Amino acid sequence: MKSDTIWAMSHLHTGPRQPWADEDGAVPPASWGRDVPPGRSLPWGFMLVIALLVVGRFALAPYLTSAALQTWATVFVAICVQALPFLVFGVALSAAITAFVPGSFWTRALPRHPAAAVPVAGMAGAVLPGCECASVPVASGLMARGVTPAAALAFLLASPAINPIVLVATAVAFPGQPLMVAARFGASLIVAVLVGWLWLRFGRSEWLRIPSRPHGEGSKLGAFAEAMRHDLLHAGGFLIVGGLAAATINVLVPREWLTAVAGIPWLAVLVMALLAVLLSICSEADAFVAASMSAFSPTAKLAFLVVGPMVDLKLIALQAGTFGRAFAVRFVPLTFGLAVLVSALSGWLLL
Amino acid sequence: MAVAVNRATQNLVLILLGGAVLRISAFSATYLNYVKPGFRPFLIGAGAVLMLLGVSGLVQIWRSKGTEADDHRREDRAHGSRTEDGHDDHGQGDRGHDGHGRGGHGHAHGGPRVAWLMCLPVFAIFLIAPPALGSFAAARDDAPRPRSQALTAFTPLEGDGPVDMKIGEFIGRAWDDETRSLSGRQIRLTGFVVPSKKKGQWFVTRMQLACCAADAFALKVAVKGVPAPPADTWVEVTGAWVPHGFEKMPAGIVHPELAATDVMKIDAPAEPYEDQSY
Repeated sequence: MKSDTIWAMSHLHTGPRQPWADEDGAVPPASWGRDVPPGRSLPWGFMLVIALLVVGRFALAPYLTSAALQTWATVFVAICVQALPFLVFGVALSAAITAFVPGSFWTRALPRHPAAAVPVAGMAGAVLPGCECASVPVASGLMARGVTPAAALAFLLASPAINPIVLVATAVAFPGQPLMVAARFGASLIVAVLVGWLWLRFGRSEWLRIPSRPHGEGSKLGAFAEAMRHDLLHAGGFLIVGGLAAATINVLVPREWLTAVAGIPWLAVLVMALLAVLLSICSEADAFVAASMSAFSPTAKLAFLVVGPMVDLKLIALQAGTFGRAFAVRFVPLTFGLAVLVSALSGWLLL
Repeated sequence: MAVAVNRATQNLVLILLGGAVLRISAFSATYLNYVKPGFRPFLIGAGAVLMLLGVSGLVQIWRSKGTEADDHRREDRAHGSRTEDGHDDHGQGDRGHDGHGRGGHGHAHGGPRVAWLMCLPVFAIFLIAPPALGSFAAARDDAPRPRSQALTAFTPLEGDGPVDMKIGEFIGRAWDDETRSLSGRQIRLTGFVVPSKKKGQWFVTRMQLACCAADAFALKVAVKGVPAPPADTWVEVTGAWVPHGFEKMPAGIVHPELAATDVMKIDAPAEPYEDQSY
């Protein structure tokens, strides 16, 4: 099924208006780009997709019944379906910021001094609910609106980790352990602010590609819809990449391997952190998964909860796609290292 | 020379995805295979928003004739309007231009090709029609589960006949109920069949969702005394709890046991996953 689809995708063309130069996306294979006579406005590619769906429905569907494939598809569709409403909401929020909030608002709302703007933006994450897939477009919207990148990055890291919905979910998942909620909040905020400050001190502007916002027809509503469409197509595509990876890992890696590892403390922390990266679960949901890993120590679970909303496959793909690969190559390891370090420390202190 | 997703196609992809989401949430109960029941309004909302965005986009394209010229005009405006934002004091407006200069992100009308991937869930939904997680996933998932954390008092079982019980509740009562309310009662459990590696037993199983099917875990009760139906068959098993002979939980994976007297084949329930509350 997968290879069939990819094969099909390589034949999907639509009239090019502009060369696709999103090199940093790098997800689609090179075979995607084939020459098509220019100036065509009919959506041929889309018609091919529909034709394939109709034909496949009758010709392929009866054969796509292996248990492993079905389980993979269930997990893949579940991740997409679970994340989609959060994505749509977050993208709407980001588009609303783009369309309705004047650019000058942000420069006024945040402290003028960048070093002070970072912690304020981090704390703002505690107020604005948003899942991590949405925080990337929101943060890029902030940057496009003139917010210091370091502050926008602090918001990007903090918002999915410490917003009220996530904290409530964490409290529900760990009943009778309020310290887990406190540790998650504290460690995540510290990491977000530290990364922001480090970026401010050492970051270079050429590493970061600040996405431009498309400006639609004159009306605000038009601009809103245009920005939302743009972000959805971007973030949505990369969410699918993450969903594919997570489903594949979910079906292929035996869980017994994990329990064997849990016995060694430092390894357990590292493994849980890496697992958070691989599984790419939404921050609204990850507390329940962490709680279910009963073999692991609270500190290892905390690492899972702190790393997950900040670094995971889906996010790396999203960030690389939005801000460019040069950014992701530096930002992701920095965040991961700090997140592991800070959660190990606060786990040792609090839990 | 590569291909951007043109404007009409962008909107059509949104409509396709929105339609697929609405189909599994608003017009059928398929969404229950993937997420929790309470998530339905959000799915319908998200699907509707996708549809609305796509349709409004198409209408907009329909209205503006001579799309080619119009697109270029719009593109120019997109580039030009950055300066209107009035916050160039940070120099970000310029950087935004640089991004454009590299040609990277200027799909004011041409979407990123990665957007094609949004067709993949639609393919999965229509071609594979992924069912609820079954014995394949349940057999993989053999990690011990956290025992019922909300240790509220277990109420005594009422009535005389067999008691219908969720598998999660059975497991809770089997391990954590000090009054041993299960003793001497006939219990009826509903779930699907998962074969066991051990001889003479099989599992009656329900999956439970933490959040969505991606983090589902299996609730299993070992059934003894009756031959195993084929894997993935939905059954109602009636039998008596076999009290465990240990004071403390032994290490490793243990499942509570049921000495079954009767197995009845049933249709798969509309809601395949077991609710957490009991």
